Amino acid sequence: MATTAPVLQAHHDVPWWQRNQTKIYFFSLLFVLPALINFTVFRYIPIIYALRASFWQYSLVRGFTEMIGFDNYVRAVTNDPIFWDALRATTLYVIGKVPLQAGLALALALFTNQQKPFMGLARGLIFVPVVTSYVVVSIVWGLVLNEDLGLLNSILRTIGIPAGDYLTNPNPIFVNYVNKLPEGIRHVVEFILPNQTLATIIGLSIWKDVGYSTIILVAGLKGIPDVYYEAAIVDGANGWQRFVNITIPLLRRPLLFVIVTTTLFAFQVFVPVYQLTKGGPGRSTMVLVYYIYRQGFNMAEMGYASALSIILLLIVLCISVLQMYLLRPEDD
Amino acid sequence: MTTATQKSIVQVDLERAARDRRIRLFNKSLDAVLTVVVYAVITFVFFTPMLWALTSSFRTVEGVFNNLVPVSWKTFWPTDFRVSNYLDALGLTSSQYLQVTPWARAFVAFWTKIGLHNGLEVNLGYNLGNNLWISLSSGVAVVLLSLIFNTSAAYFFGRLKFPGKSYILTYVLATMMVPQQIIMVPLFLVVKELGFINTWWALVLPWYASPFVTFGLTQFISDIPYELDEAAIMDGANLLQILFYVIVPMSVPGLVTMGLLEFQFIWNEFFWPLVATQNPKILPVQVAIASQFGQWSIPWGRVFASICLASVPVIVIFLALQNFYYENIALTGLKG
Repeated sequence: MATTAPVLQAHHDVPWWQRNQTKIYFFSLLFVLPALINFTVFRYIPIIYALRASFWQYSLVRGFTEMIGFDNYVRAVTNDPIFWDALRATTLYVIGKVPLQAGLALALALFTNQQKPFMGLARGLIFVPVVTSYVVVSIVWGLVLNEDLGLLNSILRTIGIPAGDYLTNPNPIFVNYVNKLPEGIRHVVEFILPNQTLATIIGLSIWKDVGYSTIILVAGLKGIPDVYYEAAIVDGANGWQRFVNITIPLLRRPLLFVIVTTTLFAFQVFVPVYQLTKGGPGRSTMVLVYYIYRQGFNMAEMGYASALSIILLLIVLCISVLQMYLLRPEDD
Repeated sequence: MTTATQKSIVQVDLERAARDRRIRLFNKSLDAVLTVVVYAVITFVFFTPMLWALTSSFRTVEGVFNNLVPVSWKTFWPTDFRVSNYLDALGLTSSQYLQVTPWARAFVAFWTKIGLHNGLEVNLGYNLGNNLWISLSSGVAVVLLSLIFNTSAAYFFGRLKFPGKSYILTYVLATMMVPQQIIMVPLFLVVKELGFINTWWALVLPWYASPFVTFGLTQFISDIPYELDEAAIMDGANLLQILFYVIVPMSVPGLVTMGLLEFQFIWNEFFWPLVATQNPKILPVQVAIASQFGQWSIPWGRVFASICLASVPVIVIFLALQNFYYENIALTGLKG
């Protein structure tokens, strides 16, 4: 007992700030402090700053000048048609992109999960766009889709289809086709695809991102024990039944993860719009993040841009909360 | 009597086996054909644009656009192979530069001599090498700082005792719910207040710690058996020594993956450097490439060479460490 006495100091002997345990806590805190400073300065303070800027008359040169309360928010909701167009374009982008990308990723995951020669190569090809930057992907696709200099049009022309500009104008072929549709369906198509540009942006961002979703789903597929499939084959289940009754239920979490993360990232789309369309033609591809950028850095309305950032942040937070609810740990 | 008209059991069995074999063979070849078709579609969709950009970077602009229609092998193969675009993109053909740099003169002369460069000198005031260096240096700085600070933070969360630690972890994880792209404008305002806008530090400081990396490494460190720590404590190691001699050597795979993903994120990041840097001297490569599109006519040859210079390094790193990527991306779900 006597030998341990110096190490274990009695609590009432020493004030808390001189205790060994306090020193250890202090030393421990040093490990996490730099990271906490980063998160505070570069992630929390900007939000507080944006909240403040959104309630004040704010300019880069003169700083905060006058408190204007909710004026910026009121302006966005009641008096800014571009904001609503931006919200519409962003929503259409998300609705168009998420199901398509998730479905395509599922198909590609099922395909690349097979044991076949060259499968590693195929998986690599699908994943290469993921490690390439959005700027490069946008430039390459912008040129591929170009009316006069584009690879796509030259392929189409080679097989006898006239050229169209897929980036700024609806392709005449497509318009002809849509015009021939029955009235009801035509309105639906015209509502979903206000023009081709947004569809093109959706397409190229799916091309860029689908590999990422595929890899997550492949990992999910690898986690499904083969025994289930073997048992199902013994019971005489065909491929489709195995897919619906084994693969889909057991792939629920990775699928939800893919859908939710794709949604979150889709709300942040910026680079393809910046690089290719600048929000046009009209306001058809004026997505929210690009609109915020334009208001903040081209129009120098930092206060309004901050208010728009806060609105978008609230939308995304709602989705994050939904994600946490859907992906909550299952008790079983 | 009956055997003349009825088949024997053996015969029936053999026929059934032959039929099954035919069906299996048919299914197998159908499967093979479908696989080849899907391979062809994947190659066409995912590889053609990349291949076209890569081979176009090695030819003249006329060579690229004159061979477009009709599409043939000439569209994808540089029949007029030359490296001029790369020399232009790296600023090696600028006559002012050549006058003061003998080695560049010799280098360009070499390519001219073997017929892969036309010897033209152009004053473009464009040097992607500088931008590549900015991206590389800021990327390496972010990776090093991030590994130091995220690993120590992860060590704190995974191993150390602290009152209210779970609240601190919540404080960190909550930042994952705030996507960076959305707070770019506010982040710009804060970094401007701090006085880092238009400096190299603006490219590094906001990213030296990441909740995703901290969280991923925390999970990695939690999986290391605590007995190893105990053994080190018995030998009289302090917290820092445990971190360096026990935790870090055990988490090398996690650290390498996180470092790679972080580097790739910084290398490919566009929005933040776009707003944080206007000074041409510190433009990272992605912004430098995009800035060529504001001009009257787009210098396509140089653009092709630039996008290849900007993409090939990350693609090569990825191809070399493919399986690493797959395992860990799926584990952490880290992106950006």
